[in-house]
Amino acid sequence: MTGRAPSRRRLDIVGWSATSPFGTGRAAFSQGLREGRGTSAPLDHEQWQVPAGPACLVPDFDVRKVLGKKGTRSMNRVTGLAVSTVGDLLAELDRPGLTPETTGMVLGTTGGSVQSTLDFTRGSLTGELPYLVDPGLIPYGVMNGAAGQIAIWHQLKGPNATLAAGRSAGLLALNYARRLLLTDRAEMVLCGAAEEYSTARAWLARHTAESDPDALLLGEGCAMFALTAVAAESDPVAQATASLVGVKALTSSEGDWEAVVRRAVGQLLDDAGITPADLWAVSPSAAAGAAGKAEAVIAQDLVAAGGGVRLPVAELLGEAHAASAAFQLAAVLGRAEADERAAGRFSVVTSTDEAGTVAAALLRHY
Amino acid sequence: MTAITADEKQQIKDIVCDILELEEDEITEESLFVEEHDADSMRLIEILSSLELNLKVTIEQSELARMVNLAGVYEVVAESAR
Repeated sequence: MTGRAPSRRRLDIVGWSATSPFGTGRAAFSQGLREGRGTSAPLDHEQWQVPAGPACLVPDFDVRKVLGKKGTRSMNRVTGLAVSTVGDLLAELDRPGLTPETTGMVLGTTGGSVQSTLDFTRGSLTGELPYLVDPGLIPYGVMNGAAGQIAIWHQLKGPNATLAAGRSAGLLALNYARRLLLTDRAEMVLCGAAEEYSTARAWLARHTAESDPDALLLGEGCAMFALTAVAAESDPVAQATASLVGVKALTSSEGDWEAVVRRAVGQLLDDAGITPADLWAVSPSAAAGAAGKAEAVIAQDLVAAGGGVRLPVAELLGEAHAASAAFQLAAVLGRAEADERAAGRFSVVTSTDEAGTVAAALLRHY
Repeated sequence: MTAITADEKQQIKDIVCDILELEEDEITEESLFVEEHDADSMRLIEILSSLELNLKVTIEQSELARMVNLAGVYEVVAESAR
Protein backbone atom coordinates (compact mmCIF):
# COMPACT_ATOMS: atom_id res chain seq x y z
CA MET A 1 0.00 0.00 0.00
CA THR A 2 1.36 3.37 -0.92
CA GLY A 3 -1.27 5.61 0.66
CA ARG A 4 -1.69 7.50 -2.60
CA ALA A 5 -4.96 8.25 -4.27
CA PRO A 6 -5.73 5.71 -7.01
CA SER A 7 -3.69 6.93 -9.93
CA ARG A 8 -5.48 7.77 -13.13
CA ARG A 9 -2.77 6.38 -15.25
CA ARG A 10 -2.46 3.95 -18.08
CA LEU A 11 0.41 1.55 -18.78
CA ASP A 12 1.51 1.55 -22.39
CA ILE A 13 3.52 -1.29 -23.86
CA VAL A 14 5.99 0.69 -25.93
CA GLY A 15 8.04 -2.15 -27.33
CA TRP A 16 8.72 -5.86 -27.20
CA SER A 17 11.09 -8.45 -28.54
CA ALA A 18 11.45 -12.20 -28.44
CA THR A 19 14.16 -14.78 -28.93
CA SER A 20 12.28 -17.96 -29.67
CA PRO A 21 12.37 -21.20 -31.64
CA PHE A 22 10.96 -19.05 -34.50
CA GLY A 23 14.27 -17.15 -34.52
CA THR A 24 15.69 -13.92 -33.16
CA GLY A 25 13.64 -10.75 -32.86
CA ARG A 26 10.11 -9.44 -33.02
CA ALA A 27 9.75 -9.83 -36.79
CA ALA A 28 10.80 -13.48 -36.78
CA PHE A 29 8.38 -14.18 -33.94
CA SER A 30 5.45 -12.51 -35.66
CA GLN A 31 6.22 -14.21 -38.94
CA GLY A 32 6.49 -17.68 -37.43
CA LEU A 33 3.20 -17.15 -35.67
CA ARG A 34 1.48 -15.87 -38.80
CA GLU A 35 2.64 -18.93 -40.72
CA GLY A 36 1.62 -21.20 -37.84
CA ARG A 37 5.00 -22.85 -38.19
CA GLY A 38 5.83 -25.70 -35.80
CA THR A 39 9.38 -25.56 -34.44
CA SER A 40 9.89 -29.10 -33.16
CA ALA A 41 13.18 -30.52 -34.46
CA PRO A 42 15.43 -33.50 -33.76
CA LEU A 43 18.23 -32.78 -31.31
CA ASP A 44 21.94 -33.18 -31.82
CA HIS A 45 22.59 -35.83 -29.20
CA GLU A 46 26.33 -35.20 -29.37
CA GLN A 47 25.66 -31.78 -27.84
CA TRP A 48 22.67 -32.68 -25.65
CA GLN A 49 22.89 -35.74 -23.39
CA VAL A 50 19.12 -35.87 -23.07
CA PRO A 51 16.23 -38.30 -23.47
CA ALA A 52 15.42 -39.25 -27.06
CA GLY A 53 12.91 -37.11 -28.91
CA PRO A 54 12.67 -33.65 -30.44
CA ALA A 55 12.57 -30.22 -28.80
CA CYS A 56 11.90 -26.61 -29.81
CA LEU A 57 15.23 -24.78 -29.56
CA VAL A 58 16.19 -21.25 -30.53
CA PRO A 59 17.95 -21.94 -33.85
CA ASP A 60 21.76 -21.63 -33.76
CA PHE A 61 21.76 -19.93 -30.39
CA ASP A 62 25.22 -19.97 -28.86
CA VAL A 63 25.87 -17.40 -26.14
CA ARG A 64 29.43 -16.53 -27.20
CA LYS A 65 28.55 -16.37 -30.89
CA VAL A 66 25.61 -14.07 -30.23
CA LEU A 67 27.08 -11.82 -27.53
CA GLY A 68 30.81 -12.08 -28.27
CA LYS A 69 33.65 -13.45 -26.17
CA LYS A 70 33.87 -10.65 -23.62
CA GLY A 71 32.01 -11.18 -20.36
CA THR A 72 30.46 -14.43 -21.52
CA ARG A 73 32.97 -17.10 -20.44
CA SER A 74 30.76 -18.61 -17.75
CA MET A 75 27.45 -17.17 -18.94
CA ASN A 76 24.72 -19.77 -19.10
CA ARG A 77 22.12 -20.11 -21.81
CA VAL A 78 19.20 -18.52 -19.97
CA THR A 79 21.27 -15.42 -19.21
CA GLY A 80 22.48 -15.26 -22.80
CA LEU A 81 18.92 -15.48 -24.08
CA ALA A 82 17.74 -12.77 -21.67
CA VAL A 83 20.68 -10.39 -22.26
CA SER A 84 20.34 -10.76 -26.00
CA THR A 85 16.56 -10.24 -26.02
CA VAL A 86 16.84 -7.08 -23.92
CA GLY A 87 19.50 -5.85 -26.35
CA ASP A 88 17.07 -6.30 -29.24
CA LEU A 89 14.33 -4.55 -27.27
CA LEU A 90 16.57 -1.60 -26.42
CA ALA A 91 17.61 -1.34 -30.05
CA GLU A 92 14.03 -0.65 -31.05
CA LEU A 93 13.39 1.80 -28.21
CA ASP A 94 14.78 5.31 -28.08
CA ARG A 95 17.85 4.30 -26.10
CA PRO A 96 19.29 7.82 -25.59
CA GLY A 97 15.87 8.84 -24.23
CA LEU A 98 16.12 6.27 -21.44
CA THR A 99 17.50 7.28 -18.07
CA PRO A 100 19.49 4.33 -16.66
CA GLU A 101 18.61 5.29 -13.06
CA THR A 102 14.87 5.13 -13.70
CA THR A 103 14.77 2.11 -15.98
CA GLY A 104 13.83 -1.06 -14.12
CA MET A 105 14.19 -4.70 -15.00
CA VAL A 106 11.83 -7.51 -13.94
CA LEU A 107 12.57 -11.05 -15.04
CA GLY A 108 10.33 -14.07 -14.62
CA THR A 109 11.89 -17.49 -14.14
CA THR A 110 11.27 -20.90 -12.61
CA GLY A 111 14.46 -21.29 -10.62
CA GLY A 112 17.07 -19.59 -12.74
CA SER A 113 19.19 -22.16 -14.54
CA VAL A 114 18.69 -25.58 -13.00
CA GLN A 115 21.70 -26.67 -15.08
CA SER A 116 24.01 -24.10 -13.49
CA THR A 117 22.72 -24.88 -10.01
CA LEU A 118 23.33 -28.59 -10.47
CA ASP A 119 26.74 -28.08 -12.10
CA PHE A 120 27.86 -26.02 -9.12
CA THR A 121 26.49 -28.51 -6.60
CA ARG A 122 28.06 -31.41 -8.47
CA GLY A 123 31.41 -29.62 -8.49
CA SER A 124 31.30 -29.24 -4.74
CA LEU A 125 30.30 -32.86 -4.14
CA THR A 126 32.80 -34.43 -6.53
CA GLY A 127 35.76 -32.06 -6.12
CA GLU A 128 38.72 -32.88 -3.90
CA LEU A 129 37.41 -30.45 -1.30
CA PRO A 130 33.89 -29.01 -1.01
CA TYR A 131 35.09 -25.47 -1.62
CA LEU A 132 37.22 -26.29 -4.67
CA VAL A 133 34.52 -25.13 -7.06
CA ASP A 134 34.51 -22.91 -10.12
CA PRO A 135 33.53 -19.50 -8.71
CA GLY A 136 32.61 -18.36 -12.21
CA LEU A 137 29.46 -20.46 -11.88
CA ILE A 138 28.25 -18.71 -8.74
CA PRO A 139 26.61 -15.65 -10.33
CA TYR A 140 24.68 -17.92 -12.68
CA GLY A 141 23.83 -20.59 -10.13
CA VAL A 142 21.51 -18.23 -8.29
CA MET A 143 18.15 -17.44 -9.81
CA ASN A 144 18.61 -13.70 -10.04
CA GLY A 145 21.86 -14.04 -11.97
CA ALA A 146 20.24 -13.37 -15.31
CA ALA A 147 18.42 -10.19 -14.23
CA GLY A 148 21.63 -8.90 -12.67
CA GLN A 149 23.64 -9.59 -15.81
CA ILE A 150 21.02 -7.82 -17.95
CA ALA A 151 21.43 -4.71 -15.80
CA ILE A 152 25.23 -4.90 -15.91
CA TRP A 153 25.38 -5.59 -19.65
CA HIS A 154 22.87 -2.90 -20.66
CA GLN A 155 23.66 -0.43 -17.86
CA LEU A 156 20.20 -0.34 -16.31
CA LYS A 157 20.32 1.14 -12.82
CA GLY A 158 16.66 1.12 -11.77
CA PRO A 159 14.92 -1.53 -9.65
CA ASN A 160 16.05 -5.04 -10.54
CA ALA A 161 13.77 -7.91 -9.61
CA THR A 162 13.49 -11.61 -10.31
CA LEU A 163 10.19 -13.44 -9.92
CA ALA A 164 10.12 -17.20 -9.62
CA ALA A 165 6.65 -18.30 -10.62
CA GLY A 166 7.01 -21.16 -13.07
CA ARG A 167 4.77 -21.04 -16.12
CA SER A 168 3.00 -17.90 -14.91
CA ALA A 169 6.23 -15.98 -14.37
CA GLY A 170 5.78 -13.74 -17.41
CA LEU A 171 2.44 -12.44 -16.18
CA LEU A 172 3.58 -11.98 -12.60
CA ALA A 173 6.61 -10.08 -13.87
CA LEU A 174 4.23 -7.85 -15.79
CA ASN A 175 2.24 -7.26 -12.62
CA TYR A 176 5.39 -6.39 -10.70
CA ALA A 177 6.38 -3.96 -13.47
CA ARG A 178 2.89 -2.44 -13.23
CA ARG A 179 3.32 -1.81 -9.51
CA LEU A 180 6.80 -0.31 -9.96
CA LEU A 181 5.40 2.15 -12.49
CA LEU A 182 2.25 3.07 -10.56
CA THR A 183 4.26 3.74 -7.41
CA ASP A 184 6.83 5.84 -9.30
CA ARG A 185 9.73 3.51 -8.61
CA ALA A 186 10.65 3.64 -12.28
CA GLU A 187 9.78 5.58 -15.43
CA MET A 188 10.29 2.65 -17.73
CA VAL A 189 10.32 -1.04 -16.86
CA LEU A 190 11.62 -3.81 -19.07
CA CYS A 191 9.97 -7.04 -18.07
CA GLY A 192 9.49 -10.53 -19.37
CA ALA A 193 10.60 -14.08 -18.77
CA ALA A 194 13.26 -16.50 -19.96
CA GLU A 195 13.77 -20.25 -20.01
CA GLU A 196 16.69 -22.29 -21.33
CA TYR A 197 16.77 -25.77 -22.77
CA SER A 198 19.31 -27.85 -20.88
CA THR A 199 20.20 -31.44 -20.11
CA ALA A 200 19.17 -30.95 -16.50
CA ARG A 201 15.79 -29.45 -17.42
CA ALA A 202 15.07 -32.15 -19.98
CA TRP A 203 15.63 -34.92 -17.43
CA LEU A 204 13.79 -33.11 -14.64
CA ALA A 205 10.81 -32.51 -16.91
CA ARG A 206 10.78 -36.16 -17.90
CA HIS A 207 10.92 -37.47 -14.35
CA THR A 208 8.28 -35.06 -13.04
CA ALA A 209 5.90 -35.27 -16.02
CA GLU A 210 2.27 -35.66 -14.95
CA SER A 211 1.28 -37.07 -18.32
CA ASP A 212 3.08 -39.24 -20.89
CA PRO A 213 6.78 -38.32 -20.61
CA ASP A 214 7.37 -39.36 -24.23
CA ALA A 215 4.86 -36.75 -25.36
CA LEU A 216 6.86 -33.93 -23.72
CA LEU A 217 8.02 -31.29 -26.15
CA LEU A 218 10.17 -28.68 -24.43
CA GLY A 219 10.67 -25.19 -25.78
CA GLU A 220 12.89 -22.30 -24.70
CA GLY A 221 13.56 -18.64 -25.24
CA CYS A 222 12.77 -15.22 -23.89
CA ALA A 223 10.26 -12.45 -24.49
CA MET A 224 10.67 -8.92 -23.14
CA PHE A 225 8.35 -5.95 -22.99
CA ALA A 226 8.90 -2.27 -22.27
CA LEU A 227 6.24 -0.49 -20.23
CA THR A 228 5.76 3.09 -19.19
CA ALA A 229 3.01 4.98 -17.34
CA VAL A 230 1.12 7.87 -18.90
CA ALA A 231 -1.93 9.94 -17.95
CA ALA A 232 -5.08 7.88 -18.50
CA GLU A 233 -6.62 10.18 -21.07
CA SER A 234 -3.49 10.93 -23.09
CA ASP A 235 -2.81 9.65 -26.60
CA PRO A 236 -0.88 6.39 -26.93
CA VAL A 237 2.87 6.78 -26.53
CA ALA A 238 4.65 6.68 -29.88
CA GLN A 239 5.38 3.07 -30.89
CA ALA A 240 2.89 1.71 -28.32
CA THR A 241 0.60 -0.91 -29.81
CA ALA A 242 -1.26 -1.85 -26.65
CA SER A 243 -1.77 -0.99 -23.02
CA LEU A 244 -1.80 -3.27 -20.01
CA VAL A 245 -5.24 -2.99 -18.42
CA GLY A 246 -4.73 -5.38 -15.53
CA VAL A 247 -3.22 -8.58 -14.15
CA LYS A 248 -4.87 -10.98 -11.72
CA ALA A 249 -2.96 -13.64 -9.85
CA LEU A 250 -4.81 -16.19 -7.72
CA THR A 251 -3.98 -19.53 -6.14
CA SER A 252 -5.77 -22.76 -6.85
CA SER A 253 -5.39 -24.84 -3.72
CA GLU A 254 -8.20 -27.36 -3.99
CA GLY A 255 -7.72 -28.56 -7.52
CA ASP A 256 -10.71 -26.75 -9.03
CA TRP A 257 -8.65 -25.01 -11.69
CA GLU A 258 -11.62 -24.07 -13.81
CA ALA A 259 -13.32 -22.08 -11.07
CA VAL A 260 -10.14 -20.17 -10.28
CA VAL A 261 -9.28 -19.38 -13.90
CA ARG A 262 -12.89 -18.27 -14.45
CA ARG A 263 -12.69 -16.03 -11.39
CA ALA A 264 -9.41 -14.43 -12.51
CA VAL A 265 -10.70 -13.70 -16.00
CA GLY A 266 -14.11 -12.58 -14.69
CA GLN A 267 -12.52 -10.10 -12.30
CA LEU A 268 -10.33 -8.66 -15.05
CA LEU A 269 -13.28 -8.12 -17.39
CA ASP A 270 -15.47 -6.70 -14.60
CA ASP A 271 -12.77 -4.30 -13.41
CA ALA A 272 -12.39 -3.03 -16.98
CA GLY A 273 -16.15 -2.86 -17.45
CA ILE A 274 -16.13 -5.03 -20.56
CA THR A 275 -17.73 -8.29 -21.75
CA PRO A 276 -16.32 -11.20 -23.77
CA ALA A 277 -17.74 -9.54 -26.89
CA ASP A 278 -15.11 -6.81 -26.47
CA LEU A 279 -12.28 -9.33 -26.80
CA TRP A 280 -10.18 -9.69 -29.91
CA ALA A 281 -8.19 -12.75 -28.79
CA VAL A 282 -7.77 -15.27 -26.00
CA SER A 283 -4.53 -17.08 -25.31
CA PRO A 284 -4.61 -20.05 -22.93
CA SER A 285 -1.25 -21.53 -21.92
CA ALA A 286 -1.86 -25.11 -23.11
CA ALA A 287 -0.37 -26.51 -19.91
CA ALA A 288 -0.41 -30.28 -19.57
CA GLY A 289 -2.99 -31.86 -17.30
CA ALA A 290 -6.08 -30.56 -15.51
CA ALA A 291 -4.91 -26.95 -15.22
CA GLY A 292 -4.38 -26.62 -18.96
CA LYS A 293 -7.70 -28.27 -19.69
CA ALA A 294 -9.46 -25.78 -17.42
CA GLU A 295 -7.82 -22.90 -19.28
CA ALA A 296 -8.93 -24.40 -22.59
CA VAL A 297 -12.53 -24.62 -21.36
CA ILE A 298 -12.53 -20.97 -20.29
CA ALA A 299 -10.94 -19.91 -23.58
CA GLN A 300 -13.60 -21.83 -25.48
CA ASP A 301 -16.36 -20.20 -23.40
CA LEU A 302 -14.94 -16.74 -24.07
CA VAL A 303 -14.67 -17.36 -27.80
CA ALA A 304 -18.21 -18.78 -27.84
CA ALA A 305 -19.40 -15.61 -26.08
CA GLY A 306 -17.98 -13.50 -28.88
CA GLY A 307 -14.45 -13.27 -27.53
CA GLY A 308 -12.57 -13.27 -30.81
CA VAL A 309 -9.94 -15.79 -31.82
CA ARG A 310 -8.00 -18.33 -29.79
CA LEU A 311 -4.27 -18.00 -30.37
CA PRO A 312 -2.17 -21.18 -30.26
CA VAL A 313 1.35 -20.65 -28.92
CA ALA A 314 2.65 -23.70 -27.05
CA GLU A 315 1.38 -25.88 -29.89
CA LEU A 316 4.03 -24.21 -32.09
CA LEU A 317 6.80 -23.35 -29.62
CA GLY A 318 6.67 -26.28 -27.20
CA GLU A 319 6.37 -26.20 -23.42
CA ALA A 320 8.48 -23.15 -22.63
CA HIS A 321 7.88 -23.33 -18.87
CA ALA A 322 8.98 -19.97 -17.37
CA ALA A 323 8.89 -18.28 -20.78
CA SER A 324 5.47 -19.64 -21.75
CA ALA A 325 3.26 -16.78 -20.54
CA ALA A 326 5.70 -14.20 -21.95
CA PHE A 327 5.49 -15.97 -25.34
CA GLN A 328 1.67 -15.86 -25.14
CA LEU A 329 1.80 -12.15 -24.50
CA ALA A 330 4.19 -11.62 -27.40
CA ALA A 331 1.92 -13.71 -29.60
CA VAL A 332 -1.12 -11.60 -28.76
CA LEU A 333 0.81 -8.39 -29.48
CA GLY A 334 2.39 -9.73 -32.65
CA ARG A 335 -0.85 -10.98 -34.13
CA ALA A 336 -2.85 -7.90 -33.12
CA GLU A 337 -0.33 -5.58 -34.78
CA ALA A 338 -1.08 -7.29 -38.09
CA ASP A 339 -4.86 -7.29 -37.71
CA GLU A 340 -6.86 -4.07 -37.99
CA ARG A 341 -9.82 -5.73 -36.31
CA ALA A 342 -7.86 -5.74 -33.04
CA ALA A 343 -7.82 -1.94 -32.78
CA GLY A 344 -9.71 -0.71 -29.73
CA ARG A 345 -10.46 -4.23 -28.57
CA PHE A 346 -9.04 -6.34 -25.74
CA SER A 347 -7.18 -9.63 -25.34
CA VAL A 348 -6.87 -12.06 -22.45
CA VAL A 349 -3.83 -14.18 -21.64
CA THR A 350 -4.24 -16.95 -19.07
CA SER A 351 -1.61 -19.10 -17.40
CA THR A 352 -1.46 -21.84 -14.79
CA ASP A 353 1.42 -23.46 -12.99
CA GLU A 354 1.38 -26.85 -11.33
CA ALA A 355 2.40 -25.20 -8.04
CA GLY A 356 -1.09 -23.65 -7.96
CA THR A 357 -0.62 -20.23 -9.52
CA VAL A 358 -3.37 -18.96 -11.79
CA ALA A 359 -2.67 -15.70 -13.58
CA ALA A 360 -4.45 -13.71 -16.23
CA ALA A 361 -3.69 -10.44 -17.98
CA LEU A 362 -5.90 -8.09 -19.96
CA LEU A 363 -4.51 -5.95 -22.78
CA ARG A 364 -6.11 -3.26 -24.86
CA HIS A 365 -4.94 -2.90 -28.46
CA TYR A 366 -4.48 0.47 -30.17
CA MET B 1 59.96 -21.40 -1.44
CA THR B 2 59.83 -23.60 -4.50
CA ALA B 3 60.82 -22.43 -7.94
CA ILE B 4 58.18 -22.29 -10.60
CA THR B 5 58.69 -24.27 -13.81
CA ALA B 6 58.18 -23.01 -17.36
CA ASP B 7 55.30 -25.47 -17.72
CA GLU B 8 53.61 -24.06 -14.65
CA LYS B 9 54.10 -20.53 -15.94
CA GLN B 10 52.39 -21.48 -19.17
CA GLN B 11 49.57 -23.16 -17.27
CA ILE B 12 49.07 -20.06 -15.14
CA LYS B 13 49.07 -17.84 -18.20
CA ASP B 14 46.46 -20.07 -19.85
CA ILE B 15 44.23 -19.87 -16.78
CA VAL B 16 44.54 -16.09 -16.53
CA CYS B 17 43.90 -15.58 -20.25
CA ASP B 18 40.86 -17.85 -20.11
CA ILE B 19 39.33 -16.02 -17.16
CA LEU B 20 40.14 -12.52 -18.40
CA GLU B 21 38.96 -13.52 -21.89
CA LEU B 22 42.26 -12.51 -23.50
CA GLU B 23 44.42 -13.88 -26.28
CA GLU B 24 47.93 -14.75 -25.10
CA ASP B 25 49.52 -11.92 -27.07
CA GLU B 26 47.29 -9.35 -25.37
CA ILE B 27 48.89 -9.85 -21.96
CA THR B 28 52.43 -9.34 -20.66
CA GLU B 29 54.03 -10.25 -17.36
CA GLU B 30 53.67 -6.66 -16.23
CA SER B 31 50.28 -5.63 -17.67
CA LEU B 32 47.75 -4.97 -14.91
CA PHE B 33 44.64 -7.16 -14.64
CA VAL B 34 42.30 -4.47 -13.33
CA GLU B 35 43.65 -1.31 -14.95
CA GLU B 36 44.58 -2.74 -18.34
CA HIS B 37 42.42 -5.85 -18.75
CA ASP B 38 39.12 -4.72 -17.21
CA ALA B 39 39.16 -7.34 -14.47
CA ASP B 40 36.85 -6.89 -11.49
CA SER B 41 37.04 -8.47 -8.01
CA MET B 42 35.01 -11.45 -9.22
CA ARG B 43 37.57 -12.24 -11.94
CA LEU B 44 40.43 -12.00 -9.43
CA ILE B 45 38.69 -14.50 -7.15
CA GLU B 46 38.13 -16.75 -10.15
CA ILE B 47 41.86 -16.63 -10.92
CA LEU B 48 42.75 -17.50 -7.33
CA SER B 49 40.29 -20.40 -7.18
CA SER B 50 41.25 -21.74 -10.57
CA LEU B 51 44.92 -21.77 -9.58
CA GLU B 52 44.07 -23.69 -6.39
CA LEU B 53 41.95 -26.13 -8.36
CA ASN B 54 44.37 -26.78 -11.20
CA LEU B 55 47.79 -26.41 -9.57
CA LYS B 56 46.80 -28.04 -6.26
CA VAL B 57 48.11 -25.11 -4.27
CA THR B 58 46.62 -23.16 -1.39
CA ILE B 59 46.59 -19.40 -1.69
CA GLU B 60 45.45 -17.08 1.10
CA GLN B 61 42.93 -14.47 0.02
CA SER B 62 45.22 -11.77 1.40
CA GLU B 63 47.60 -12.62 -1.45
CA LEU B 64 45.12 -11.11 -3.93
CA ALA B 65 46.73 -7.74 -3.20
CA ARG B 66 49.93 -8.97 -4.87
CA MET B 67 48.23 -10.74 -7.76
CA VAL B 68 47.88 -7.63 -9.88
CA ASN B 69 49.63 -9.02 -12.95
CA LEU B 70 51.19 -12.26 -14.22
CA ALA B 71 54.52 -11.53 -12.51
CA GLY B 72 52.69 -11.13 -9.20
CA VAL B 73 50.79 -14.38 -9.70
CA TYR B 74 53.99 -16.30 -10.54
CA GLU B 75 55.51 -14.98 -7.33
CA VAL B 76 52.53 -15.90 -5.16
CA VAL B 77 52.22 -19.39 -6.65
CA ALA B 78 55.95 -20.01 -6.19
CA GLU B 79 55.65 -19.17 -2.49
CA SER B 80 52.37 -20.97 -1.91
CA ALA B 81 51.91 -24.16 0.08
CA ARG B 82 51.64 -27.30 -2.05
